Amino acid sequence: MLNFTFAFLLQQVEDNRFAQMRHAAANPDLSKFLWIGALLFIIGVAGVLTRRNIIVIFMSIELILNAANLNFIAFSRYLHETGNANALAGQIFTVFIIVVAAAEAAIGLGIVIALYRNKETIWVDEIDLLKW
Amino acid sequence: MTLSGYEALFFWIFGLAAIFAGLLTVMARNAVHSALFLISSLVSVAALFVLARAEFIAGVQILVYVGGVMVLFLFVIMLVNVGAEERGHEEIFNNQRQVTASLIFCLLLVGGVLYAVNRGYSGLQILHPNPVSQDQLQATSATGSSQITKDAEGVGGSLYRYASLPFEIASVLLLVAIIGSVMLARTLRQEASADDVAPEVLQEEIARDPQLAKLEPQSE
Repeated sequence: MLNFTFAFLLQQVEDNRFAQMRHAAANPDLSKFLWIGALLFIIGVAGVLTRRNIIVIFMSIELILNAANLNFIAFSRYLHETGNANALAGQIFTVFIIVVAAAEAAIGLGIVIALYRNKETIWVDEIDLLKW
Repeated sequence: MTLSGYEALFFWIFGLAAIFAGLLTVMARNAVHSALFLISSLVSVAALFVLARAEFIAGVQILVYVGGVMVLFLFVIMLVNVGAEERGHEEIFNNQRQVTASLIFCLLLVGGVLYAVNRGYSGLQILHPNPVSQDQLQATSATGSSQITKDAEGVGGSLYRYASLPFEIASVLLLVAIIGSVMLARTLRQEASADDVAPEVLQEEIARDPQLAKLEPQSE
């Protein structure tokens, strides 16, 4: 009898946890935005570490910056709802990150073109000009 | 900030699309495919910005990233990627030790960051147990999603009220980036015609390529 009750209670707990998970999935909150930002960041880091094409490395850096933007926007929304008066600071910071990303892309691609003109390669393991 | 109804559905669609497109960006063999997958990832993140009531930033994201930066990337791929088709037969992840080390590092990073997010978020929930949802103040449509906010107005107001000095600094940064990329991308011929090369270097280059000698009197 006791055994049966225990099993029944466990079943309830399991059902409850499943219902909680379903509720969390149906109502994504701040932490879900942060998960997606974290995963995008890590994908970008993996791209920077593994790829050899310098242009794809630049694209991975854009992915990393974009993940940071997503976190800023999510926190801005969260603070807005907690009644913080200066919650829009997150969105403004995002504007500046986009500006810096655009400048970085322009300079970086200029460097890539100059490098390709001199070294005829865009593979980072062949660009060892500063290696002694 | 809890999304519900159709907003939750679109959150998962665009979130998963952003992650998968990001993965394909890193894994695509052809750099042009990488760029196109990156564009779709950026558009999905812009959709997430809209879901987080940041419509202005979403528009800026699409205009600046997709319209400006990615077109620049595609042009550079077009200019640079000549010999890549021959190299395309190689495995892109061919350095086994490098890939293993970075995979281990990234898995550790996934564990650490997701753990930190969950711990930090539970701390936030203790700090703000019941955030007052601003959506209740706004009119709600039949699908349960709230109407569009006055986001651009708020962003513009606080951009000029609190961040006008960084705004000016950003404009100087962009000017420097424009000039810098133009200077970096010049050819030797263009540099020589602007009299921007050291005389010894120019003599060496003339010895290698006599065509350059024609440019010298032009600069004087």
